[in-house]
Amino acid sequence: MNQADVSKLMSQLRIAVRSNKRNLKNPDGPEGRLLKLRKTVTALVKHERIELFYNRADEARGYAELLISNAIRHGDRHKATMELADYWLLEKQLVHKLFKVLVPRYENYNVSYTRMFKAPRDYPGIYYRKSVLELRGNPYPVLTQDNSQNRNLLHNVLLDEARKEFRREKLASLANKLAAETEETPKPTVEKATEV
Amino acid sequence: MPRILLLSIKTIIGNLENLFAMVKGSPPALAMIMSDRNNPTTQTFSLKDVIGDGFLWAVPKHRRSVEKRLNRKFGFPEYVWKPLKEKRNLRSCLKCGHEHELGVLCSFCYDIVRKETHQMQEKIQESLGVAPIDQEVVVLYDGENDLSPEALKGSRVVEIQKPRPMWFTKNLLQKSTQQSADTKEVKPSDLG
Repeated sequence: MNQADVSKLMSQLRIAVRSNKRNLKNPDGPEGRLLKLRKTVTALVKHERIELFYNRADEARGYAELLISNAIRHGDRHKATMELADYWLLEKQLVHKLFKVLVPRYENYNVSYTRMFKAPRDYPGIYYRKSVLELRGNPYPVLTQDNSQNRNLLHNVLLDEARKEFRREKLASLANKLAAETEETPKPTVEKATEV
Repeated sequence: MPRILLLSIKTIIGNLENLFAMVKGSPPALAMIMSDRNNPTTQTFSLKDVIGDGFLWAVPKHRRSVEKRLNRKFGFPEYVWKPLKEKRNLRSCLKCGHEHELGVLCSFCYDIVRKETHQMQEKIQESLGVAPIDQEVVVLYDGENDLSPEALKGSRVVEIQKPRPMWFTKNLLQKSTQQSADTKEVKPSDLG
């Protein structure tokens, strides 16, 4: 078997990309569509979390994933990748960010580099669905449900037991201390009570 | 000469034909008048008398059944149901209790996160500017200077001049022991 490793020939994305592109309407035609997508990818790399309409977010997500994936695979000494980064990132300080910040961050990831959520919208509101698109590992507060306080999780069960143990020990030592004190001074409180 | 002869023959034949036609019956243009004269009792009905210059709309030929009428009014439940219908994909948020659609972020929780995120993004962009970005950003809130230099090594620190929100804490553990308070206990006096 003298076959080329497919994973080295092209990027394998960790998201589902539609086989056909969306018909994102733009008065300037295909060039306008691409400019809009470039702006979106630039904003995503810059802000790491953006809120926009679902269709454009999903379309831009594939390009952003491809850009990061290529940057990881080829590095910054690869002419084609650098041209790709130059094309997709309109603000050129982000080219540095792509190779110096995002590549080290995502090198060992085995999940997608971006995340997408469906954002709420006012009822009935406008027709278009909204979404939140973000890069993984961003410094912002998480959007998903925080289940870390669920008491049935294993670490919480163990921590609860440890806490109980600690309290038991504390109470035992206090009781011992009190017992020792009462032996030294025999019942001062009871005498007081009898006086009154 | 022969031409004049031909013409005269034609005119004679034409006259003869007219004669015979008179005998057969009246020519079509005069037929109605003739028949009217023959039967004066029958009256002709013409739509033109009724309509005049107007025109007629199409009208239903058959009665529409009750079932059809109801289906047209309300739709059919399994296909198209026109009146209001209840939403079955609403759940209450486990964190705050507000209702949200399944698979969609809770609007109340998301609003809080979004506001905080916007503030952080503004501060980060202010700090970064247009210089090349080559470091990860670490956001520190007011009074968070207890991180070791090794933890902050190779990252850019952005400070926000406000305390960290309670819901956005990095500490996932509860405190097992309370720190001793600075205040002193005061025992009540004069209680007998």
